[in-house]
Amino acid sequence: MRLWPKSLLGQVLLAATVAVLVAQSVSVVLLYRAAESRRDAAMLNVAALQLVRQAEQPDRSQLATAERRDRRDRLRRQTAGPRLPRPLRIEWVDNPARLSGDRRDPAREAELQQLLLAQGVPVSEVLVLERRIGDDPFIAGRPRLRERVASEGLQQREMLVAAVRRDGAGEWAVSRVPEPVAPTGVMRTILFQTIVIFLVLVSSLFFLLRRITRPLAVLTERTERFAATRQASEPLAAQGPDDIQRLIAAHNAMEARIAALIDEKDVMLGAIGHDLKTPLAALRVRIESVEDERERAKMAAGIEDITRSLDDILSLARVGKATGPAEPTDLTALVASVVEEFEDRGKPVHMIDAPRIVRPVHVTWLRRALRNLISNAVRYGDKASVSLTETEGRAILRVDDIGPGIPADRIADMLEPFTRGEASRNRATGGAGLGLTLARAIAEQHGGELVLTNLPERGLRAEIRLPSS
Amino acid sequence: MNDTAPISLLLVDDEASLREPLAEYLTRQGFAVQEAESAAVARSHLRTEKPDLVLLDIMMPGEDGLSLCRHLIETRALPVILLTARGEPTDRIVGLEIGADDYVTKPFEPRELVARIRSVLRRAGRASSEPDADAPYGFEGWRLDPLKRRLTDPEGVLVSISTAEFRLLRAFLDHPRQVLDRDQLLDMVQGREAHLFDRAVDNQVSRLRRKIEADSRNPELILTVRGGGYRFAAQVTRPVGGRD
Repeated sequence: MRLWPKSLLGQVLLAATVAVLVAQSVSVVLLYRAAESRRDAAMLNVAALQLVRQAEQPDRSQLATAERRDRRDRLRRQTAGPRLPRPLRIEWVDNPARLSGDRRDPAREAELQQLLLAQGVPVSEVLVLERRIGDDPFIAGRPRLRERVASEGLQQREMLVAAVRRDGAGEWAVSRVPEPVAPTGVMRTILFQTIVIFLVLVSSLFFLLRRITRPLAVLTERTERFAATRQASEPLAAQGPDDIQRLIAAHNAMEARIAALIDEKDVMLGAIGHDLKTPLAALRVRIESVEDERERAKMAAGIEDITRSLDDILSLARVGKATGPAEPTDLTALVASVVEEFEDRGKPVHMIDAPRIVRPVHVTWLRRALRNLISNAVRYGDKASVSLTETEGRAILRVDDIGPGIPADRIADMLEPFTRGEASRNRATGGAGLGLTLARAIAEQHGGELVLTNLPERGLRAEIRLPSS
Repeated sequence: MNDTAPISLLLVDDEASLREPLAEYLTRQGFAVQEAESAAVARSHLRTEKPDLVLLDIMMPGEDGLSLCRHLIETRALPVILLTARGEPTDRIVGLEIGADDYVTKPFEPRELVARIRSVLRRAGRASSEPDADAPYGFEGWRLDPLKRRLTDPEGVLVSISTAEFRLLRAFLDHPRQVLDRDQLLDMVQGREAHLFDRAVDNQVSRLRRKIEADSRNPELILTVRGGGYRFAAQVTRPVGGRD
């Protein structure tokens, strides 16, 4: 879903917004219902009041207009809700007309009867119904009234029609109370309230969350950088709420620990390198005094194997570390020179003609990776054919052999340190099993990758793919 | 040096386990070897003796090999070969830049060390006639830095060459526009470390052409001369842009 924000800040703000809207909608519904029932009650009360007054004081004109207005204002203040509806004049009829669109309301009829009875106006018959103002014959029969209704566009609105016949009276008194205009003020208040709540909530959440997310963003960036470079820098300043500060402190401690471990490892490997290479050198000198030439050659080869493994281990430990900038290099010449090294030693390695491709690389490292791939191909795959191509901007250094390849499910394992193909061949061929691991690390150091695939016929293909510069 | 008196070497290494057998081996090879287990001992020894060449371990307690090497080259003008357990190319360049004549990584093949000793001494004997043996060469926009063994093309792109190709190219650059026959080239190139250059000259020439010629089938830099030989056709300038 597109609209769902990914960040913590976005998600919390969206959730808060939705919550405010839902809560306010519920309260709008409740308020509307309350206003409606209050309005209904008010309309019935107005009708009752008119009918009671009619009963007490048949000539309503005796009540001064000023006094009536005064009363009405007082009432309005007391109810403090929607404007109190104004009734039309009482109509006296022998028989109240019933129209087809009328809706009788027995509950309100009983209520009205009770109200009137409480005011000492017992009625024998009561009729309460709702009618469209435009349908009412009383209004239709009075041109001025009709005109006013038409000009205010009230025909479609509802009106309460309450008709009663007092005990023993022959005529019905009909009171008409038009539905008051909907109280838009309430809606406006609610809208305003919603906006205020929304702004207060969202802005306070925003500032609170920023206090959390800003240090989190800094921490994330820091962790990413550390993961990429493995270089420790100044500890991160603790900021934000306590929980975040503890996280930052914990990260600082962890980073310092990891950096110390890496340093320790480098120092240790340097020491191992030195401490092993010197005795190896001594051994290499001593075997020169061995008379049997074949024996001496075997010993020299053994020492060479150890040295190569040692160099691989040391290189693997160093490969992630920055070794100065990469420099633009003629890859074709580089591949050719590595292939020539093998040719000079009489190994079955040949290079397929390649176009001139230039990339910024760390020459010593890339040379080492290629050397590892070729010597693997010669060792396990009988012979190596090396090529260099450019596809979609990527430079691909490819080494194909004609050996048995690697079972597909073992290819990933082969890139792990100290793994070799067939166990039985290990002792005969030597090496620490770091060649491919190192080649992969070097490919990754260049922002590229090492890909191993079995060829369809026979043989393994190893490719170092370097990204476009 | 002359053929009658043995070549004298001073071997400086704190590790007796390596120093003693190496001294024995070198003695068997006909060198007169003096041993020193620290830079301090080496300095006191050098007050009275002047060896033909110093073999110097870099990592030693007390004064290290690089510091002693700097001293030897500045004050005594002695040829120095550094011995080190570290194999980083940057270490090698640092060693060569302070003026060491060569650099051998432990463990080394003793025969290779001997070959390098002889090679350094041969170069040292000639050095007086070459004012600045390490100055870079330039030709047709190309640049060859003999110290770092780096060849860069006119666009500054690094072109990898093997040791043998480097020596061959250097031989051509030292004798531009001269016809050099195969024997001469073999002499100039092979004399130093025979085992590193056991392929035919023609083969090396064609490899070098593939790397520096625009079209290796129609060479314009290294021309084949009828009757068996090669000639480097371009003008060579030294030094170009000074040392870096």
